Amino acid sequence: MAAIASAPVQTKKNYLTALKEAISEEMAANGDMVCLGEDIGQLGGAFGVTEGLQDSFGTQRVIDMPIAEAAIIGASVGLALNGKTVMAEMQFIDFITCGFDQIVNMMATYHYRTAGEVNLPVVVRGPAGAYGGGALYHSQMNEAWFCNSPGLRVVCPSTPYDAKGLLKAALRDGNPCIFFEIKELYRRSEIAEILPEDDYIVPLGKAAVRREGTDVTLVSYGQNVYHCLQAATELEKLGVSAEVIDIRSLVPLDEETIFASLAKTNRIIVVNEAPMTCGFAGEIVSRVTTKAFDLLDAPPVRITRLDTPVPWVKPLELFVLPSVERIVQSALQTVRY
Amino acid sequence: MPLQTTTDAAELPSHDQVSDPGIRHFATKRYRDSLTKEDCLEMFRQLYLARYFDVRLIKEKKRGRLRGTLYSSHNQEAILVGSLFGLRSTDWISPIHRDMPAFFLKDAKFQWAELDRMGLSIQQVCSQVWGRVDSPGRARDNWSHIGSKEKRIIHSTSMLAGTIPVAAGVVYADRMNGGDAVVVTYNGEGSTAQGVFHEAVNFAAVHKLPVVTIIENNQWAYGTPVRLGCATPDVADRAKGFGIPGYIADGQDVFDVYDKVMSAVEFARSGQGPSIVECKTFRAYGHGDHDDDRANKYRDPAEIEHGRLRDPIAVCRQSLLDLGYISAEEAEMFIAEGKNASEATNEDFPPEVVDYLNSGIEFALASPQPEAEEGGMWVFKESK
Ligand SMILES: Cc1ncc(C[n+]2csc(CCOP(=O)(O)OP(=O)(O)O)c2C)c(N)n1
Ligand SMILES: [Mg+2]
Repeated sequence: MAAIASAPVQTKKNYLTALKEAISEEMAANGDMVCLGEDIGQLGGAFGVTEGLQDSFGTQRVIDMPIAEAAIIGASVGLALNGKTVMAEMQFIDFITCGFDQIVNMMATYHYRTAGEVNLPVVVRGPAGAYGGGALYHSQMNEAWFCNSPGLRVVCPSTPYDAKGLLKAALRDGNPCIFFEIKELYRRSEIAEILPEDDYIVPLGKAAVRREGTDVTLVSYGQNVYHCLQAATELEKLGVSAEVIDIRSLVPLDEETIFASLAKTNRIIVVNEAPMTCGFAGEIVSRVTTKAFDLLDAPPVRITRLDTPVPWVKPLELFVLPSVERIVQSALQTVRY
Repeated sequence: MPLQTTTDAAELPSHDQVSDPGIRHFATKRYRDSLTKEDCLEMFRQLYLARYFDVRLIKEKKRGRLRGTLYSSHNQEAILVGSLFGLRSTDWISPIHRDMPAFFLKDAKFQWAELDRMGLSIQQVCSQVWGRVDSPGRARDNWSHIGSKEKRIIHSTSMLAGTIPVAAGVVYADRMNGGDAVVVTYNGEGSTAQGVFHEAVNFAAVHKLPVVTIIENNQWAYGTPVRLGCATPDVADRAKGFGIPGYIADGQDVFDVYDKVMSAVEFARSGQGPSIVECKTFRAYGHGDHDDDRANKYRDPAEIEHGRLRDPIAVCRQSLLDLGYISAEEAEMFIAEGKNASEATNEDFPPEVVDYLNSGIEFALASPQPEAEEGGMWVFKESK
């Protein structure tokens, strides 16, 4: 404690820096770790997440891949099959579709079909999410496809602390993981924070309560957590106390934290920016209604993107996506139910 | 008088060199010999048009008037002009991110402003770039992600090489309908690493479909040099594995591109099947305008200077001078080559080029943004 007075001033770090640190610290600690992806070496990644990595660890461990997502993921599986830990970058998470078969059929099932002989420490990570004008193919949140493929961890941090801690946890977990990074948060300065000096992880499958409240529970992940927090501030002015839960990890899902909140509020709204039909909000609502039905005083609500792609032009994009306004309105209806 | 060829390997810069002359065992005719003086002058004007479009959009973007990423086709215009010029109006094309001018250059020969021609109008293209409702896709997706079934332009997604199988399907259907259309697809050299590229070209080869796949080898795929994406000396070598012709063109020379693409097009039209035409060129700027600063770090300045040495406008002008199609005085009139967007001015371009684009921009600025509710429309065809 006494040391604090003389400790050097620590700088706040953004989400992107947190990811960068997670990767380089794991690479330094684990000589058997390899990174591969398009433009991750010489360029340092489209967004700079791997900047300097190849300089530090060489071209053998940081591989500039041809534009071939199936080969990137399949090769990751092979590397892991033969003892390596792998970080594979998708330049945008949207392009993961080009490696889909290697993920859902080859990678996800490996442990299962080998009766546990093989486990694959592979993290496929990439920038995801809308609200930035990226249009149909640079805005996706396609997490539901992977949640529906048994054998995959699915993770989505919303803060720098979690970005670093979850990525480290995922790299050490020993199971394949699809790691959704929110590109709109990469350089958002308002959420920059001081990170622990010492090594830490954020365990997979543990939700975080971002704001406590008593009248309604808002459950979300990724960028929508901030929409929920803003809605909670608005709601407070209107006399409604909202609790905000950031699930952080979709598979595995921390049901206890959600149910514990529901026990207080008896009302739940789930927000995600992916489309509604078969989206993850539906999964949470269904767990609530099947496992915690007695806690409900009002029908659960999903606020999601319309069942459309993400259009380019701003008014159209905002029209289809969840907004603070929609969350506030739904919360008011729910508490009055 | 025949045009002089400028494509002897010895004249090409070293990194552009054709390393396997055997790849060219398929006869390429000098189609240029049948071009008229007017044709050649029109191709020259189209080079200016493509360059001006790029220059002007970069300026507009810098002024903060545009959203979205700009993938410059600067220094690669001869590939677009040379490949499009000889197509029939019934032919299809499939341009991608770096090929914006292709949308309005298609079927533009001597009739740029003709609205009935089989290409997009400059008004439509500008409306798309400015995100306006008069874009053919009502600005639902960005920049090059447009097309027109009516005008026979395939609508791309972002997923590289993803339109080649679509192109194969299009011409398969055309054959079923008794047509003789050819489809010309455009891709960067980096995109040839995609699985779907190989799946599609193979399918086209097996069925001898009239698919001409142009590879714009600009030496770089974003921050990755060609040697890390393709192990064969020439990207056109990939053709060997499919049993189809692989042609190599000097992408800086509009007439050489014309010869090679026309050879491939006629081969395809006569029922002999698909081919690959690799056009050697060099990416003038960063991958997109967001990458300009970083590209100056991952690319050697000497390489950039070398790669931009043979500006397609200058190369074409020299051919026209050699042919006596323009006078030395005329050749001096518009010097657009060697100038970045920040250096070039309207005076560097023929006035009809500037006027043409102005008419598109004025139209776009008067066109409204689509209404927000359109975001929810057209997921399905409404049943009647
Ligand atoms: C399937 C897929 N993976 C990755 C990307 C991201 N990306 C867009 S353009 C590009 C580089 C393309 O290089 P090249 O094919 O040589 O075309 P160029 O940009 O040089 O014209 C990359 C990696 C993408 N659009 N699609
Ligand atoms: Mg390229």
